[in-house]
Amino acid sequence: MTVHLPTAPVAPDLLPQDLRDLLERRAARLRAPARSPEEDRVFWVAEFPLGEERWALPLAVLRAAVPLEMVTPVPLSSPQVVGILRFQGQIISALSLSALLGGHGWRQDPAVLLVVDPGLGRLVALDCETIPKPVALPHSLVQDALSRSHGAVCEISLPGAAASLRLLDVAALVSRQRAPRG
Amino acid sequence: MADPDLPRSPSNLTLAALRAAMDPLLAPLLPGFVEEAEGLAAKVTLHLLDLERSGGGRAFDDLARGLHTLKGSAATIGLDDLADLAHRMEDAVLPLRGQGGVLPPALADALLRSLDAFLAHVRALAGRGGEPQDLEPARALLAAAQLATHAQPSPPAHTPAPPVKPPKLPVPPAAQEETPHLSPYDQLPAAPRPLPPLPPETPPPPSPESFPPALEEGWRVQPHQVVTLLQEVERLRELRLRVDERRRELERGIALLSRLGVLAETAEARALLAGTSRALAADGEEAADLVASLEEGLKQITTLPMRTALEPLRRAVRDLCKATGKEARLEVVGAEVSLDRRVLEALRGPLVQLVRNAVDHGLERPDEREARGKHREGALTIRVEQQGNLLFLEVADDGRGLDAEKIREAAVRLSMLTPEEARVALPQQLWQLLFRPGFTTREEVSAVSGRGVGLDLVRAQLLERRGHVEVQSVAGQGTRFLLSLPADLGSSPLLVVRAGEQLVGVPMAAIESSRSAKASEMLVGRGQSTLDYRDQRIPLRDLGALLGLRQPEAPEPGTPLLVIQQQGERIALAVDEVLGDKELMVRPLPAETRDLPAWQGAATLAGGELLLVLRPEWLVRPESHVAASATPARRALVVDDSLTARALHRTALESGGYQVHTASSARQALEHLRHTAYEILVCDVAMEEMDGLELTRAIRARPETQGLAIIVVSAHDGEAGRARGAAAGADGFLSKRDCASGRLLAEVAQVIARRKEGQR
Repeated sequence: MTVHLPTAPVAPDLLPQDLRDLLERRAARLRAPARSPEEDRVFWVAEFPLGEERWALPLAVLRAAVPLEMVTPVPLSSPQVVGILRFQGQIISALSLSALLGGHGWRQDPAVLLVVDPGLGRLVALDCETIPKPVALPHSLVQDALSRSHGAVCEISLPGAAASLRLLDVAALVSRQRAPRG
Repeated sequence: MADPDLPRSPSNLTLAALRAAMDPLLAPLLPGFVEEAEGLAAKVTLHLLDLERSGGGRAFDDLARGLHTLKGSAATIGLDDLADLAHRMEDAVLPLRGQGGVLPPALADALLRSLDAFLAHVRALAGRGGEPQDLEPARALLAAAQLATHAQPSPPAHTPAPPVKPPKLPVPPAAQEETPHLSPYDQLPAAPRPLPPLPPETPPPPSPESFPPALEEGWRVQPHQVVTLLQEVERLRELRLRVDERRRELERGIALLSRLGVLAETAEARALLAGTSRALAADGEEAADLVASLEEGLKQITTLPMRTALEPLRRAVRDLCKATGKEARLEVVGAEVSLDRRVLEALRGPLVQLVRNAVDHGLERPDEREARGKHREGALTIRVEQQGNLLFLEVADDGRGLDAEKIREAAVRLSMLTPEEARVALPQQLWQLLFRPGFTTREEVSAVSGRGVGLDLVRAQLLERRGHVEVQSVAGQGTRFLLSLPADLGSSPLLVVRAGEQLVGVPMAAIESSRSAKASEMLVGRGQSTLDYRDQRIPLRDLGALLGLRQPEAPEPGTPLLVIQQQGERIALAVDEVLGDKELMVRPLPAETRDLPAWQGAATLAGGELLLVLRPEWLVRPESHVAASATPARRALVVDDSLTARALHRTALESGGYQVHTASSARQALEHLRHTAYEILVCDVAMEEMDGLELTRAIRARPETQGLAIIVVSAHDGEAGRARGAAAGADGFLSKRDCASGRLLAEVAQVIARRKEGQR
């Protein structure tokens, strides 16, 4: 619809009805509560399968996915420690994600290591069946789930999805290692 | 060493004569000393200027420490004339300590010009240009300035110093006659004899010709530039590993093409790819050589063997003994450790100080030692060890130990403690006083000690490098100073050995000898085996068993044995193979494994693989192996070529109470089964060379393993797989999916029960 607005100030009552309707619609739109920025924000995760379940870790902590090669086993270490490896000049630990989660297993032998920065001042590598895929989750959904969770795993129910997604708090997970054997 | 009888008149100060008088063993150390002296002189100069301008107690301490180190280092390499000059500089400074005033300009001037003379002399001696200096004028100038200083009160701090006329240098009588006006400084007592001029206070600006050729001087490099280069080498090493990985992928591609069965059609492509793979392998080798060469070059630039700091101490001990009438023998352990040059430089001063203290304060006179039932000759020991990125250094003597009562008295006399505090102070609290500036138990000052500048210098220099020093002492038995400081770039000699499939490094410093096992020298028992070694029976241990990789095995004749000696304890360590010695940088393990007592760190081999490095004290302490050598009732063997799958099965089985050994191949599994009885074997089906089904058939063909329960694990679930497993002789079959759902332990229990039932 094309509406020709008057160029000089005019009393509202004197405006044509169609123009008054248009202005009213615009005013109503402006009066409506603004869409929350929270609703527009997304939270990126790296999703991967573990056994029959869908798991993820915050994409922000993921530094690299490297082939599971050149890992040196460390005798007498705790069962969660797969070994040590070199990454960008540092020596870092390769941990068994499955063992850290208390016995969940893989459907096939892990082929990659996910190098993550848990924010503890060091990097660690976690084994994984496949290279994870990036997925955007509604930020508010993640915040809501996080506020209800207490451990290293936060369960997120995604609308329309059959199974929930388990989001890992890598720092909490890495900090709860078992004692070494030696 | 300078000959004390050498005439010191200028006419005799020829370079050749001075060099000829030096000990030939110490002469090569001169270039290093020049660098050290230049660094110290630069610091001393800054402190002098600070003190002249604004005074301050801390700057006085720093100045005193700098001069003390200069003295000690000069004495250590036998430059007695220079040591004496530094001693006089110290003498001039120390009476002003604690007064809080500024340094009188005449004294500052005398000190700076003496420092110039010191440097000019040592540079000439080292062939860095110039003529050797007659140090007498500097001594006279110091004496004169000292007299003038102590005749007047020191000006207070923060007051502008009066305008200072540069002190007039002593000049020959003829020249004096030409000087009509005398300054107050000219009223100073006359020098003993006419003196030649000192080097100019401010050196003339350098002309292009005055720069020596660059190759002789070298380049000045900032530490961060070297660190960046080291990081680049690390990146190059990782790139080399990636090239290797690409080659392996290429090989897999070629194998896949071969399996497709279209051999004729793909022959040309496969030949091309095979050629590329060979070329990549050659490139990888060349890159590895380059990495090794770069790393070696950087190591030579950044590190020096510890012996360069320790060797001069032998002479210092000898000279100190002569000066004090004592007898001592210096033993050094770990001199071959290479250290970051910066760390080594920081250690030179503290080492000199600790050794001087040990001889002067620690050791008794020979007759006194004999009366106490000790050897006439005192024992001084310096032990150096690098563990991860930490350097540990111990300086120990077997002398009289620290005298707590003397320290209490001195602490009260020096107002560091009240009499009551001194009375109740514990020994460790008293020992800490030794590191306080100005603390000394001596009431008289000697050329060696008694000034209270010494151990505080040791602590200050260590703190500068984030280090730490501790002292332990037992009355009548001796004193030990334990120094530790971070050392990121150093390297240690390691012997690379193999136990099972695991390569490990053993610090060479802990290996007393190596030999092949002989049946006649071993006593193999059920609980513990021993080896006859130098008329002793020492415990004989299997490294593989200590690391939990297998059950203890009695070494067969010819097995390599290493005799490990640490802190007076000895063991013989049986290893599967000795691969050779390497000089490697040992770095700390990540947090998840850092607390393991068996390992001190890891080093990187030329190919990029990490080598775990053992902690010798863990090897010799039997109590540390209890967990590893205990024999639980149930043992399991996991065979899988996937490292992470082995870790996962191990976790599950250990949680079920099993002691778990692992093997990455069927061949290795058969080797384990030759020595050890297992209750259950969990085996992956898809393995290279010999798969899990072949392994099962091989085990079933052996009568001695008939009782072993076997579970095969496959990525593919299905009846056909189960049937093939059963046909091979397996008792159970699990898919990876089954393992993922936590069925491993339940299946283990069932198949063991079935096997036992079948055996009845």
